[in-house]
Amino acid sequence: MTEHEVFQHTLEAAIRHYLGAPGEVRALARLTGGATKLTWSFDAVVGAETLPLILQQTPADRLAAASELGGSRIHGAQDAALLAAAAAAGVPAPRVRFALQPDDHLGEGVVTDRAAGETLGRKINTDPRLAAVRPQLAAQCGAILAAVHRIDPTGLPFLATQTAADQLAIFRGIADACDHPLPAVELGLRWVAEHLPPAPRTAVVHGDFRNGNLIVGDGGVRCVLDWELAHLGDPMLDLGWICVKTWRFGGAPPVGGFGHRADLFRAYEQAGGGPVDPTHVRFWEAFGCVKWALMCMHKGLGALDTIPGATPGARRSVEAVAIGRRIEEPLLDFLDLITGKAA
Amino acid sequence: MPAIQPDAPALLDAAIDYLERELLPTLAGYHRFQCRVTVNVLAQVRRELALAPGQADAERARLIALLGHPGERDALSRELAARIRAGDLALDDPALLDHLRQSLVEALRINNPKWLGEPEPVEPERG
Repeated sequence: MTEHEVFQHTLEAAIRHYLGAPGEVRALARLTGGATKLTWSFDAVVGAETLPLILQQTPADRLAAASELGGSRIHGAQDAALLAAAAAAGVPAPRVRFALQPDDHLGEGVVTDRAAGETLGRKINTDPRLAAVRPQLAAQCGAILAAVHRIDPTGLPFLATQTAADQLAIFRGIADACDHPLPAVELGLRWVAEHLPPAPRTAVVHGDFRNGNLIVGDGGVRCVLDWELAHLGDPMLDLGWICVKTWRFGGAPPVGGFGHRADLFRAYEQAGGGPVDPTHVRFWEAFGCVKWALMCMHKGLGALDTIPGATPGARRSVEAVAIGRRIEEPLLDFLDLITGKAA
Repeated sequence: MPAIQPDAPALLDAAIDYLERELLPTLAGYHRFQCRVTVNVLAQVRRELALAPGQADAERARLIALLGHPGERDALSRELAARIRAGDLALDDPALLDHLRQSLVEALRINNPKWLGEPEPVEPERG
């Protein structure tokens, strides 16, 4: 049997166990994207029904690498609990079918329903079929973020608290581990250290809320994906991150390349998220540029033996080394932000 | 004329041309994406061969002016990073910001000229 066939048989056993017979898996395809995590699309035959499903999975041999970047990451059963809490707060989140257990031999992950719609940022910003919903997306994101920040953390003890200073310490650590000191990165980290704002409050923060992690279809935003960086922290982080130029995918407007800050902020306030200070959000956008630059650096150097947690002799994918060459994009955006040249 | 012909840019041009025009149209999904990324990576190498030597000289000259003493480019850049980290330089120092911006713009001319909103550089014919 090929590796792919073994994987399909293992997945079919899990489907039979959690969802029922016959559990046949059809149209199994690996989707692009995901650094350590793999995303699979497939249809599962359960009883007389054919269910469109998604498996997000971190294979066992990648779990060590997944935990080292950006502090603790959310996996498996934790992800399932978080998605359920998000749905209860009114966030359009993926409907969880089951979380993987060690006995399933598929690593850690969750199986969710597959929502119809577009996830590619560039298509969301250019597809003529989405022209009617595009002007509504920034306001929808504002309302959704107000709901994210209302999630009750009571049943989510695994969420770590990360203040802006904690995040700075994490990314300072990544920069030092990479041991590739760049003057522009050092300027960025020092600027962040000198501009740390007091958080208005502490809330459940998505941590990676941006164009590319949203499913957009009829009516607009249908689902918010990729919760693995969720934590307790400054809710303004989420409003700043979706404005980072990298996530505009060539679109001109600052919010995801599809909308305007005023719409995002107004909808957030109207949905009960609390007052938004644009300067505070700009801090997180600028810090987001520095964070993304360091994620690129870490990914590009990631399998070098000098990086802690890396597997000696591991090969680097072309995708990984290509991301390593994207360091300068957010650093130039950062300079534009702090010198008042940015849009 | 370089000692070895066809030279490295010519090899890269041929490889990029095959991947982009012949292989890519036959692919879908995961491998289509990976192939596109591979084309981009080879194009970066192609631009680096043309642009990096001149950029390194210019960056070294800027670093010497900024730090006030001679040295090699990489060592000077490390020193500048350390001095920024130590707080020796003001974050709004115009000479510092100009240097950082210039270095980032030059790297982007290799890695992703589109980010600058500039057209890709047209290179002179090789003889």
